[in-house]
Amino acid sequence: MIDINPFLAWVESTTLSQWIVGSPSMLAFPGILVVHAIGMGFAVGVSAALDLRILGVAPGIPLADMRRFLPFLWAGFWLNAVSGVLLLIGYPTKALTNPVFYLKLTLIAVAMTLLVRISGRAFASSSGGPSGPPVPEITPTLRKLAIASLVCWTGAITAGRLLAYTYTRLTQLH
Amino acid sequence: MDIHQFQVWLVTTIYRNSPVADLMRTAWAWPIAESLHFLGLCLLVGSIGTFDLRLLGVAKRVPIAAVHRFIPWGLAGFAINIMTGTMFLLTEPDQYIYNPSFHFKLLFMTIGGLNAGTFYLTSYRHLFGPDAPLDAPMRAKVIAAISLCAWLGVITGGRLLTFYRPAPCDGQQKGLLLTCAP
Repeated sequence: MIDINPFLAWVESTTLSQWIVGSPSMLAFPGILVVHAIGMGFAVGVSAALDLRILGVAPGIPLADMRRFLPFLWAGFWLNAVSGVLLLIGYPTKALTNPVFYLKLTLIAVAMTLLVRISGRAFASSSGGPSGPPVPEITPTLRKLAIASLVCWTGAITAGRLLAYTYTRLTQLH
Repeated sequence: MDIHQFQVWLVTTIYRNSPVADLMRTAWAWPIAESLHFLGLCLLVGSIGTFDLRLLGVAKRVPIAAVHRFIPWGLAGFAINIMTGTMFLLTEPDQYIYNPSFHFKLLFMTIGGLNAGTFYLTSYRHLFGPDAPLDAPMRAKVIAAISLCAWLGVITGGRLLTFYRPAPCDGQQKGLLLTCAP
């Protein structure tokens, strides 16, 4: 078993880590948390809207047109990838010694994989007849993927929130 | 009673009569309520935010009324957050009533609410009637932009609460609202 403690101690010793955790600026740790919450709203919110559309909400929206909202989902995702890495650099020991953190990352990975599969099916340019735009069909498989997506996001958010209550070590010093 | 005295009265009264404080102080009630609060946030942004984006011109071929069908889900998210938020407030009232970040959160919620009311009063008939245009008028776009900003302000105010926890008052507190704990 590799001892990761020296690596965690090194991360915590970097200027960036110490600025994130120690700076009195509201742009440091608090600002990164704000970005992380807003990114979550767009990533999970738009993904959930797509899932709900597949499950029968807002049937007047052509399914293929839901793709117009996807750039906002991806913007939220990348905001959270960046802000999440910054939070990890701030408190590497707190996150990496907590099994719940790995559960959260796994659930996000599954949710994003589901999104890619849902996008592939919902926005496929398969033939819909000689005239007019192609009409993707909402299959039982697509519905199952949408339900799985909602379940994964619920789990990821819950796991993320529980990180504040389940960690055993805050930093190498504590 | 001035507004500072009202805040003190409110905190004292809630502490004396809170119906949920005992429940919320059990091991997992607070974290579960927080998780629900975050899920409600996502529903709200995913529904109301998506509708705002449509008014601003995203997915222009889709009828505005069709995207409006997401709004009940946004209201459900809002209802979840009012309930869970009230439970936090009724458990630790001093952490909210004296917190400037909470004051801003309430201000942005009020702006978001009045703004939504303005939308229905000024644009509903125009955008949901039989001859509804696909491109929303500038008035509705301004309302949509204000809505997005207001809800992002609400999220910001909520996320920053913990960094503006009220300290004990020393001396006379100035300002419109009390931001320290007497």
